[in-house]
Amino acid sequence: MIKTAWRLAALKNGFQDAIAYRIEFLFEILGAAFVPAAIQWVLWYALFRIGGAERVAGMTYGDMVQYTLTSLLFTQIRGGDNDFELAEMVRSGQLSNYLLRPVGVVEFVYIRGVAPKLMLAGICLLLGSGVGLFFGLSPLRMAAGMLLALVGNVIHYQVGAALATTAFLWEESYAVLMVKNLIVSLLSGELIPLNLFPASLQWIWKSTPFYLYVFGPTQVALGRWSCATFAGHLAIACAWMLFGWMLIRVTWGMGIKRYSSIGG
Amino acid sequence: MEKNRTPVIEVRDVRRTFRSPKKGDGWKGALGLLLRPEFQTTEALKGVSFTIEPGAFIGLIGANGAGKTTLLKILSGLIPPTSGEARVLGYEPFRRPMDFRRRIALVMGQKAQLWWDLPAIDAFDLLRAIYEIPPAVYRERLHTLAELLDVERHLRTQIRRLSLGERMKMELIGALIHWPGVVFLDEPTIGLDVLAAHKLREFLRVFNQREKATILLTSHNMDDIERLCSRVLILREGELIYDGTPRGLTRSGECRLKVRLMHVPAIEELARIAGVAQDAVEIRQKEDEDGAGAQFVYFTIQRRQIVPVLQALMSSGQIIEMGIEEQSLESVIQRLYGAEAAGAARPVAPG
Amino acid sequence: MRIRRYLEIYRVQIKNNWVREAVYRANFLTAIMVDLVWIGVEFSLFSVIYANTDELAGWTRSQTYFFLGMFFASDALFTTLFQRNFWNFSDLVNKGELDILLTKPVHPLFLSLSRWINLTAVFNIFLGLAIVIRYAHSAGFEGGWRWLLVAFWLLMGLFVQILLRFAFSIWIFWTERSFALSRLYYQFYAFATKPDRLFPRMIRYLVLTALPFAFIGSVPARALLHGLEWDEFFRLLLVLAAFYALNAFLWRRGLKRYQSASS
Repeated sequence: MIKTAWRLAALKNGFQDAIAYRIEFLFEILGAAFVPAAIQWVLWYALFRIGGAERVAGMTYGDMVQYTLTSLLFTQIRGGDNDFELAEMVRSGQLSNYLLRPVGVVEFVYIRGVAPKLMLAGICLLLGSGVGLFFGLSPLRMAAGMLLALVGNVIHYQVGAALATTAFLWEESYAVLMVKNLIVSLLSGELIPLNLFPASLQWIWKSTPFYLYVFGPTQVALGRWSCATFAGHLAIACAWMLFGWMLIRVTWGMGIKRYSSIGG
Repeated sequence: MEKNRTPVIEVRDVRRTFRSPKKGDGWKGALGLLLRPEFQTTEALKGVSFTIEPGAFIGLIGANGAGKTTLLKILSGLIPPTSGEARVLGYEPFRRPMDFRRRIALVMGQKAQLWWDLPAIDAFDLLRAIYEIPPAVYRERLHTLAELLDVERHLRTQIRRLSLGERMKMELIGALIHWPGVVFLDEPTIGLDVLAAHKLREFLRVFNQREKATILLTSHNMDDIERLCSRVLILREGELIYDGTPRGLTRSGECRLKVRLMHVPAIEELARIAGVAQDAVEIRQKEDEDGAGAQFVYFTIQRRQIVPVLQALMSSGQIIEMGIEEQSLESVIQRLYGAEAAGAARPVAPG
Repeated sequence: MRIRRYLEIYRVQIKNNWVREAVYRANFLTAIMVDLVWIGVEFSLFSVIYANTDELAGWTRSQTYFFLGMFFASDALFTTLFQRNFWNFSDLVNKGELDILLTKPVHPLFLSLSRWINLTAVFNIFLGLAIVIRYAHSAGFEGGWRWLLVAFWLLMGLFVQILLRFAFSIWIFWTERSFALSRLYYQFYAFATKPDRLFPRMIRYLVLTALPFAFIGSVPARALLHGLEWDEFFRLLLVLAAFYALNAFLWRRGLKRYQSASS
């Protein structure tokens, strides 16, 4: 229980940072909310309104717009660039400062970075429940979706942190992390609902944890997943999280060993 | 000093104030910044005036925050003075006309101008293109400078792989390759070891003498000032408090008499007993080898006064220990920085 | 001869980038990798959509791919010449690089924006052009002398990117952490990755005026495939002039602010 102190301090630090750079924070939300939604809307508009389609992959124009608006709430929670920060610390040698402290650096960076996301999660949940209630969506389902999205946030960081260890080997792991983000943007469902994938290609998104970030929570919130399906995917998410934890232990163990043997 | 030449730098009553946001600590501070940012105005320079003749080597000293860098920035045209007038080479620096920029150089010890990911020779090549130096002239200058600084064999090494000293030498070459008439050097020897600093100083001295470039140098290192500068400007909290030769600070024949007394009276009493002015007496707490604190009394006096002062002190009390210290520039300056509280600064002696 | 001097400086910068490239080869290679995956994602997205329909707002699959090729080539042109320079733009203020640049007898922006040239990304320009050539016929591009127009529109796309990226970067003078704005730029950049015909009226208006991302690839592709109306040319010029004026204004104001805040 003694160890909660630094975690709370890191969290508080993260909140303060978000407030101090408030303009940047607002811009980020604006960009992250407005643009993906607009892009999705563009596609649906072109498909249904200009193209005159009735149903695509079993979804109507209304279904699509509903998906787009709901997915926005969860797109906000996805990600964060803390894995880039880790890689930069390794590259610049700043990591040494952290190794001297009795604090797990991977965890420290996450906790500090997650603070604004938690703030957003709260706001989005309130907003989503409020607006959703008006359209007859259950707040409980909204909360369940948010829970899944938060687990997704952890997994996203774990994957990034594991990939950031490539910085121990090469000078930069920027490209690796960028490529990961690009793949995530397609497979998380923030660009399109994943059931639009042709049936023969559905296995692609099912074999990564990325769909748990946006697509999964949106399906839950919109009631397109049954309780049993949700429970199943939550279990899958926990399994991924466990896997991620082990992956970090292994990769960072090796990385730091290499780092200290070089004398970083 | 030759008064018939037109000065290369003229500074008249230059003031500079700037505004910065005030931030409190913790939650309240962050929230305050969010809702109602407050600003505080700081006066970096409070009416500074002086002139500099061509070819002079001037030292500019002062504690951190005294306004040295601000002054250099104004003279090199990076920032305008809030009021007052500055002229360099006949130009108003802040207008930054091209001809002005071609004839000055600014070196900041803590900021690199060369791009470190390149070998020095390629970084210099870019400067050659920027300043349009004819290739033959460029080669000759590069050769001269590299030889003077003894870095010819490092020219093809990536700059980031050089030692701090070699890097600083490269920075200097980069700053001088266009043969500027006025050079502003901000802490060029910062962080260098004794040997490297010495080499750099020698180079600057030779360059100043040979090329008659006017050099204005700031430094915390009194060796730099003592060995190079014919004239010193001292800034304290934005005011010019001394303008004259380095020697003027340490008056000739002056020394410091250090005495440890059994019983230490007040400064006024000491001055009266010894028969010297009050501001020549100083009491300091010093730790000896055992770690025990002891009070020493310092008298800044002429050599011939030593015997009379000692006699006077012995007649009034017991001396445990005594010694004579040479008056160093360092100690003079240190006292000058700290003197404000005591109000014992020496008056400005117009150089 | 001012222009000759600037050309000479640019020549030295290119030469120096050759020198650098020898040192940082790995980084440059990974940089094109990112772009390749990115264009792959864009292609995948459209192939998923076209798996469900034959035509999107009147654009066939080939026409959309033709557009993607134009867009990608134009983007790679920017990556080659400017990307990294804008990436490091905040160093100007945050690391005080501007102090030194201001004492040099050339425009400080010229020096800082010509510093990094990513020679490996030239490969992506050719890849983009290859895509354009591959789909030119099936998209209905008439070819012939019109290939010269491709070059013209690529340069236009580059120019628009410079103006836009600058408008997003210049705020470093006001906010210490400009990376959020840089990110916003990249988020808005998503608008450039879709043909503007797809856009609902409001967004379409936006990407042709205040956020003219459509001028990077979409308007050029449309001009090459279908031709533009005169009023669209006029609007293009107007937007370019407005952005240029805005950037010049912000640069002057920013510099002023920089100089008054510094001690």
